[in-house]
Amino acid sequence: MDLTFNEAEAAFRDELRAWLDAHDPGPEPTDDDEAHWRWRRDWQRTMAADRWAGVHWPVEYGGRGATITQSAIFFEELGRSGAPLPADVLGLLLAGPTLMVWGSDQQKERLLPTILDASEPWCQGFSEPDAGSDLASLKTRAVEDPETGEWVVTGQKVWTSGAQFAKWCMLVARTDPDAPRKHQGLTYFVLDMEQPGVQVVPLRQITGESEFNELFLQEARIPAENVVGGVGNGWKVAMTTLMNERSGLAFFLQVRLRQQLDKLIAEAARRGRLEDPVIAERLGELHVRTEVLRLTAYRGLTAIEKHGQPGPEGSLTKWMWSDTNQQLTQFAVDVLGDEALTRESFWSFELLRARGNSIEGGTTEILKNIVAERVLGLPRLRG
Amino acid sequence: MNFDFSEDQQEIKRTARDLLAARSSFAAVRAAAESGAPDAALWAELCELGWPGIAIGETYGGQGLGLVELAVLLEELGYAVAVTPMLGSALAALAIEHGGDDAQRERWLPGLAGGSLRGALGLADGLVPDAPGADVIVLVDADGGARVLAAADARVEAVETIDPTRVYGRVESGAGDAIDPTGIDRAAIAVSAELVGVAQRALDLTLAYVKERKQFDVPVGAFQAVSHRCAQMLLGVESARSATYFAAWAADADRERLAEGASLAKAAASEAGREVTASAIQAHGGIGFTWEADLHWLYKRAQLDAALLGAAGTHRTRLARMVSERLQTIDA
Repeated sequence: MDLTFNEAEAAFRDELRAWLDAHDPGPEPTDDDEAHWRWRRDWQRTMAADRWAGVHWPVEYGGRGATITQSAIFFEELGRSGAPLPADVLGLLLAGPTLMVWGSDQQKERLLPTILDASEPWCQGFSEPDAGSDLASLKTRAVEDPETGEWVVTGQKVWTSGAQFAKWCMLVARTDPDAPRKHQGLTYFVLDMEQPGVQVVPLRQITGESEFNELFLQEARIPAENVVGGVGNGWKVAMTTLMNERSGLAFFLQVRLRQQLDKLIAEAARRGRLEDPVIAERLGELHVRTEVLRLTAYRGLTAIEKHGQPGPEGSLTKWMWSDTNQQLTQFAVDVLGDEALTRESFWSFELLRARGNSIEGGTTEILKNIVAERVLGLPRLRG
Repeated sequence: MNFDFSEDQQEIKRTARDLLAARSSFAAVRAAAESGAPDAALWAELCELGWPGIAIGETYGGQGLGLVELAVLLEELGYAVAVTPMLGSALAALAIEHGGDDAQRERWLPGLAGGSLRGALGLADGLVPDAPGADVIVLVDADGGARVLAAADARVEAVETIDPTRVYGRVESGAGDAIDPTGIDRAAIAVSAELVGVAQRALDLTLAYVKERKQFDVPVGAFQAVSHRCAQMLLGVESARSATYFAAWAADADRERLAEGASLAKAAASEAGREVTASAIQAHGGIGFTWEADLHWLYKRAQLDAALLGAAGTHRTRLARMVSERLQTIDA
């Protein structure tokens, strides 16, 4: 055991810290989704100019070839600095790595460079109104046009974050409705969002803002060369995308959790509320959960680096984070009283936003199924 | 950054697991627990192997390894719910080695390392595990101070608790010799390691059971009400393990973080120990509530360990104060 960073990791962290000290994303725009987007896009461009946007990407694609520990350090330091995540986090974390595994040379050449500088942002067209946790039952149809060889797509996607700003969509559609099992007959496409057959309708969230959208596809067209990983192979390609979903980000989220908890503890101390043993104990409990999340995330990195696959702890961090963030934001209301529920309070937004944590990127119930089946080896009941 | 045990540490773990599987089966635990006394043959064997001295300096006849290695052994002893006085001796040795003066170390550590002397440690006004039969007792006072005394200078009254796998006592004594209380945090980490093992065993027994036991023609582990309970148990076990391994490492390699690590570990392990063993009983249904099933040894041990040297609440409160002080220092 050695829970310190090695020389290369420490050097990486120091270089990054110096860069973050010297660069500032500027003040965060409020109450304007588009301005907020531009703020994060410009920040990604600043990062990309010094090769800090895709640190985990191989050098040949414009990244730094960072190890997974360095990548964790990147997200930890970014979170600590108070800067936002880059705008096209979906392109950097999901589309890029998926194309590197499954994309043709032509696709990689065309699509990867514009991810790094956020000039062509991405969205993810997986979930549908009747295909959420049960993704393989999706119904959006892609039919080959015998005249042109193009694919013609009709259907509906939902919870599509950033679709209103996206140039490209990672789209999974059904190309063979007669395949014997529902995981078969799916194909993974790169869909151009800038065409008449694509309509984006923002969904307003309980926070009042619109991060995600409904995506209506009415005979949208996709050229044959935009199939990724082969016709009928969509499930496997989609799994590559989903495997990338939770890596790295956990460290950014953990640091943000830490900062919010520190904010609450400082505020409680300022008001003399730490003298209340019930409040002190509960804050201490949240501290334990927050630190255990960080330590468990690092244990997960060791498992991957030393053994090539995540250990039993790897499936737990997203669940731990969403649970703890919900508890923290709710407890802030107990400590600070009803002023935490006013519109101008920092905590009121966080309280509402946290309800999404246990749903987005895999519900807690699905994560428990995954832990039960894949980690604990329990039998499964559903089909 | 590397959370893995070294080759040597893994070897210690494997050896301990194998030895205890053979020598401390549930049948052996039951026999010792029902007799009301530690398993003398097992204890003699462990002393022969040098277990009590694993973290005691070589100058005093120990193996000179760290708290990580001691934690590995205690986790396995917890996994087996072994009925030995090892915990008391290990805790007393930690307190004396890290808080005592040379004379105190020379007086007690060689005997504790070799097993010719037995130790105990606990809160002065609480139950002290392994006190009956101990030769040297370390008491932690309410004000945080600690003192060491020879058993001859104390009156130990044995107390029956719900946990028959360990002997407990109340200690009445004179002043004793003051020691620096810095070793107490290490003792809390050692208890946490035992709790990790206890919780892991409860989870393993439960998984085996719910894969076997059928109702409505399917293994009950296929029902999400049961499988999600098991997932929650894993979350508890792994949380306690993350905190405890970090704390043991900090004790050996990063003393600045020892105090915080100790409270992190004890808070996480006390919570997990109680919740996971309780959940194991529930997942077993009626059979889990019987004396015949072996789950209750784990549940009872977890209850006493969780209360020892500060329950979860005590350590959480301490952590909140630590963080608050740190934030004020940064502000100032």
